[in-house]
Amino acid sequence: MNFSNMRYVLLILLVLISGMTLQAQDTRRITGKVLDNSNKQPLIGVTVSLSDSSHALAATDENGNFTAIVPAKATALHFSNIGFKNKVVSIKGKSDLEIMMEISSDAMQGVVVQGFQRRSKITATGSTVTISGEDIQNVPVSNFTELLQGRVAGVNVQNTTGMPGARTTMNLRGLSSGSVSGSGNDAFLSPTSPLFVIDGVPVDVNSGYEYGFDQSGPGTSPLALIPPEDIAEISFLKSAAATALYGSRAAYGVVLVNTKRGKSKVPIVSYAGKFYMNAVPKLKTVIGGAMERELRIQEILANDTSLYSGRDKIDMNPALSDYLNPYYNNSTNWQSVFYGPTYNMSHNISASGGDQKFNYKVNMGYAKDQGIIKNTGFTRYNLSMNADYQPTDNFKVNTSLSAALGEQQKGNGNGVSQTGVANATSASSLLPRPSFFGGNTTALGNLSTRNENKSNSMQANLNIWYRFLKDLSARDVFSYSYKAGRESNFRPAAINNNVAEFYVYDDRTQELNNRAMLEFNKELGKHRITSYVFNEITVRNYYPKAMMYSGFPNDQYEGPSGINAGAALWGIIDNFTPGERLLTNGGSLSYNYQDKYMVDVTYSVNGTSSNGPNRPFAKNPTIAGRWNFYKERFMEDLNWLSLGGVRFDWGRSTIPQGSVFDANGKYLYTGRYNNNNTIGTVWDYIPNPNLEPKMTTKYNFGVDLGVLNNRYTATFETYYNQVDNEIYDYALADHNAYGKIKVNSLNQVNYGYELTLSLSPLPASSKWQWNVNMNGSINKNVMTGLPGNSRLIIKADADNAQDIVYRLGRSNLSYILYNYRGVFKSDKDVPVDPATGLPYRVQTDKGVYYFQAGDPYWTDLDGNYISNAYDRVIAGSAATKISGGLQSLVKYGGWSLSVAMSYLYGRDILNNALAQRLAAYSTPFNIQKDASLIPVGDTRFWSPANPDGTIPNPYNYLYTSMYNPFRFDQTLFMEDGSYFKINTVTLAYMLPKSFTTRYKMTRLQVYATANNVYTFSNYSGPDPELVTDLGKDRSDGYPNRRSYTLGVNIQF
Amino acid sequence: MKRFCLKAMLLLSVAGLQGCYKKYLPTDRDAFDLSSQFTTTVYQPFLGRTTLFQNNFKDEFSSKPLNFRIFNIRTYDGGAAPELQKPFPVLVWTEPYTGKETSLAEIEAKRKMEEHPVFEIRDHSGEFIMWQSATSNIVRAQPDSGYVFDVEVSNKGGRKIVEGLRLLPFRELEYEPNKADIITGNVTNEALHPLSVSGMIGDSTESAINSGDIDITFHKASNTGSSLTFRFLDANNQLINPAKFNLTKWATLVHGFNMQQTSTYVKYDVAYPIPLVKRPTAYTNEDGSYAHLTFEYERLGFGGIRQVANMRFDFGIYTSGTWEIIFAFKKETPKFSND
Repeated sequence: MNFSNMRYVLLILLVLISGMTLQAQDTRRITGKVLDNSNKQPLIGVTVSLSDSSHALAATDENGNFTAIVPAKATALHFSNIGFKNKVVSIKGKSDLEIMMEISSDAMQGVVVQGFQRRSKITATGSTVTISGEDIQNVPVSNFTELLQGRVAGVNVQNTTGMPGARTTMNLRGLSSGSVSGSGNDAFLSPTSPLFVIDGVPVDVNSGYEYGFDQSGPGTSPLALIPPEDIAEISFLKSAAATALYGSRAAYGVVLVNTKRGKSKVPIVSYAGKFYMNAVPKLKTVIGGAMERELRIQEILANDTSLYSGRDKIDMNPALSDYLNPYYNNSTNWQSVFYGPTYNMSHNISASGGDQKFNYKVNMGYAKDQGIIKNTGFTRYNLSMNADYQPTDNFKVNTSLSAALGEQQKGNGNGVSQTGVANATSASSLLPRPSFFGGNTTALGNLSTRNENKSNSMQANLNIWYRFLKDLSARDVFSYSYKAGRESNFRPAAINNNVAEFYVYDDRTQELNNRAMLEFNKELGKHRITSYVFNEITVRNYYPKAMMYSGFPNDQYEGPSGINAGAALWGIIDNFTPGERLLTNGGSLSYNYQDKYMVDVTYSVNGTSSNGPNRPFAKNPTIAGRWNFYKERFMEDLNWLSLGGVRFDWGRSTIPQGSVFDANGKYLYTGRYNNNNTIGTVWDYIPNPNLEPKMTTKYNFGVDLGVLNNRYTATFETYYNQVDNEIYDYALADHNAYGKIKVNSLNQVNYGYELTLSLSPLPASSKWQWNVNMNGSINKNVMTGLPGNSRLIIKADADNAQDIVYRLGRSNLSYILYNYRGVFKSDKDVPVDPATGLPYRVQTDKGVYYFQAGDPYWTDLDGNYISNAYDRVIAGSAATKISGGLQSLVKYGGWSLSVAMSYLYGRDILNNALAQRLAAYSTPFNIQKDASLIPVGDTRFWSPANPDGTIPNPYNYLYTSMYNPFRFDQTLFMEDGSYFKINTVTLAYMLPKSFTTRYKMTRLQVYATANNVYTFSNYSGPDPELVTDLGKDRSDGYPNRRSYTLGVNIQF
Repeated sequence: MKRFCLKAMLLLSVAGLQGCYKKYLPTDRDAFDLSSQFTTTVYQPFLGRTTLFQNNFKDEFSSKPLNFRIFNIRTYDGGAAPELQKPFPVLVWTEPYTGKETSLAEIEAKRKMEEHPVFEIRDHSGEFIMWQSATSNIVRAQPDSGYVFDVEVSNKGGRKIVEGLRLLPFRELEYEPNKADIITGNVTNEALHPLSVSGMIGDSTESAINSGDIDITFHKASNTGSSLTFRFLDANNQLINPAKFNLTKWATLVHGFNMQQTSTYVKYDVAYPIPLVKRPTAYTNEDGSYAHLTFEYERLGFGGIRQVANMRFDFGIYTSGTWEIIFAFKKETPKFSND
């Protein structure tokens, strides 16, 4: 796959299109430009025809220009565009036109989505932000959410992994979960991505990750199966009123994604191609070869109990002493074995057309991203279509269908964490490069594992609307989605202790969603009432199976059952959540007085199968209001004010949590009782019949302002979100038969402020066009309730001892760490217990270690001269305080330059990667794993010659295991994770009409994009973004690549 | 003007909202766990030595550091106990003792006198210290019922008063091992014996000498001075020349200086207490709790075989003075001469 192949594809396309020519007899040529009269922006895709009923002659291009060949006798042209009033323009004696189109009243100021309805922005009572799909189309990404970073105030997107096709972390308005599973670097926060609704089909992106980073299945985010090129717009529903009718699953917010639809009477075929290179970012510096060996030897000789003991140990270790042995006489750069640039491409073709009565779109896409690590990558194939059919004003059918196949190669890790690569790259440089005789079997494993992962997804949506009385209409929205994930992984015997191993995994998720609505809309003079009642059911099934066989005759023979069938494992994944059923009944009533005063009330009752039997339904009311003060009489003389409104909403929404087992108990085969096979209860968790879904109560207050014909607009919002009833495992007293109970007991609050500014500083008459969008949000997260009415809970971390503290009044995910004060310059600096004469020390099960010169000085908080867990202080938090972004678009003629930037402030990162690398010095004899050494020769490190160093002596390897100077849970490794990032820079050029028409194209744009351009940060690690949700920089993460793209957009 | 009004409105509403948000949220203050408690409630230190009670406070989920304060300290019958609150000069360490000091002055430079109440609680850990200056002529010792006191534990989030903790000091034991009754202080006649004896044979019967055959006596010759002398008595109560223990590493036998070795004794200038700190050094037993002595000699046995004999003894001395330790081979004198 490279550029030369692509040439042929282009050629074929050109040949295909060249058949389309226009006849020119007894005709004349009309050219012109169509502009939006509100902001004087060019309108794209405006249909030009002779009359309303006749076929289209042309459509406007990117710059609003059109060229139409009309019969000589024609007198007028008809312009139509969805969302605008139709316009008829006389062409008598004119050949060059400028047409101003007026927005139709229902679309004035843009359209937003609230509840299930689209309505104009000036009547929106909730908080909704819509961004155009065009903003994200010129960057090649597997998962489009990566490009949403910094675009919407209050939507915090973090690309926590560079793995192609994996999910990003997305939080709407702060953290909504405090539930941490797993331990060590693998500890993860229950994902709280908003609910995505793609063309009307709800997609749950939080599932499949309940198993943490080691999630089963292909690990492809469902969102990665959507081609970014096909997205028309994305709406973020942030407040309660906006999400009211998704109430049963809207606690984390809702994101609506709509794909493009046909809207031009002239059929449009467009092609988007991207050719890009993924470049490896800066990786860690490692010492190699003779220098590494020398360093190890020096360390041992200088720090062992005696010179002779050290020499003896070196002599016994051939990797250090047998330096002439070719096996050990290497300087392998392990990172270069795995990391490398790759060349990739993506293609997308769509055909669309139609008008209000009937329109269609078909989209086909192919994308392959090989990431930057060998044996990893993601390939997407997809095909989708949608069509709208509206034969009369009273009947409408929308339908969409999409199918996608994602193929993921995860390497030897699970994709998100590249454990295999991380282990292999942490090998000593003394070992030879991978071969079947190589010393680094992990490395070999990464390269020779046969790994195949597939995600299939099919989605269908049908939306029927029928107005059977003047004010009364019925609607039914039906959607069905099917996802299948399959993983197969073959580890050859050569790298797996002589036993070939085969693992297959298979899961399927089906979701059926049906919503029936009855709508009543009435207009009485100045009063307008909109209302509806609805019933919604959702059935979601999930069923994962796995199989593991080992012991095949040879490495070419993958099955069927191996020679060691007795050791095979197969069945359903043991802790799977079987899916859920949701039932919602609700209604909505909206009142609007002249677009000046608006009140919305909704009420819904939600039942979930995971609720406890005693609490089957949750009641979710919302109430919202808006006042457009700029429409008041006393504001009329303020000509500069083009928009001004305040809005407030309050409401509740829920989200199912846990599984049906938590409320009802779980039964399993428990062996034979009374000589019968018996099914018995599982004693881990006692069923909790009072279990409730997680509930959020949201307050939102917003001000919308637009000045000077909306050239400058500002939206200020403030919110208060209370997240209650999160499940927390509560241990039961040990005289109970059951071990634990899940109770609704973790509560937290997010409150904050959001500001969005959008500016077009240049006047519409200018040849230059400049749009700037800035946004920022401040979020404060506070724990408000803990189990057992306690004020403080410490969630222990068994692996890294990086416990998490929940304390009332403080941010969720606070760290509790040893306070690192520096290094003891000399033995005399070590504090001594006046009573016992003993110096400051650690007491471990391996004995007592007294601190000495070069050792870390951690604050002895309780003053007992022993450093222990009681000396830890609550410091820092993984919660983000401020985030936002800035986008700029400059256009001049055919050129445009767009820059997207994002920033984050006030997040603390625990640099585990650095800690782990430094700890490698405590095992100088280790060469297989955790053995690569990073340079520590600089002045920051303490040594007898450099007593002013600020980082502890790493060489004291006989004792470091006792006091662990590079322990993860200390403030030494807590760093400021704030950053300012230039996400993308795109320079595009629209080729002039004269050129494109020669090749029978209506539009040809070429562009160059750099993605993940640069991150400004004080963080010492490679990337402040590449950290887990809990703020840990894990050394085995998949780095975020930097990509350089050349792309072309062609429209015929 | 109107623009200003708008801005002012906005600002006011933001300020107001901020206030509302804070009002209904829990304040970020320290957590105080009311179930925290002392795991030891009766403290029985030996007088005359510095005793530190550690790991005596259990606290699950309080924010650290906690603050501790002793108050209401009283005798068991409710009387005042000013002797425990009055500052006394006590010897405190200012630098760590390592066991590698080369002179008495170097050791003494690591300690200094400070004024402290003889019974203290550590401000943030709740550990109790009974200083060595507390002696039975100042403080009530058992069999007296001792003292009762209360402790206030607090942090910024709450506080708790633990009542009725008891301090029941034992009277001084100047040295260990010691056969004295710890409650009455009555000294019994039972003798002390070495920890182990190996390879020693009597010079007349040539039968093995066991540890029960050797009596050890501690003798404080004077309350002044700071020295330690070792003497050895044979079965006839005659002093044995210490040089006969010819393999003994006299220079590193104890952490002492200015060794004087004569035909009747070996004397060192030492710092008290012995051991100075509970930390394993070349002069102590494995856990550092006692000083460790090894007296060793070799002789040629029957047939010219080298025989090594030794005697080990662990001890501690807690008050300074001119001390002597006398080893009496009361059953039989060991055989030092070659066969």
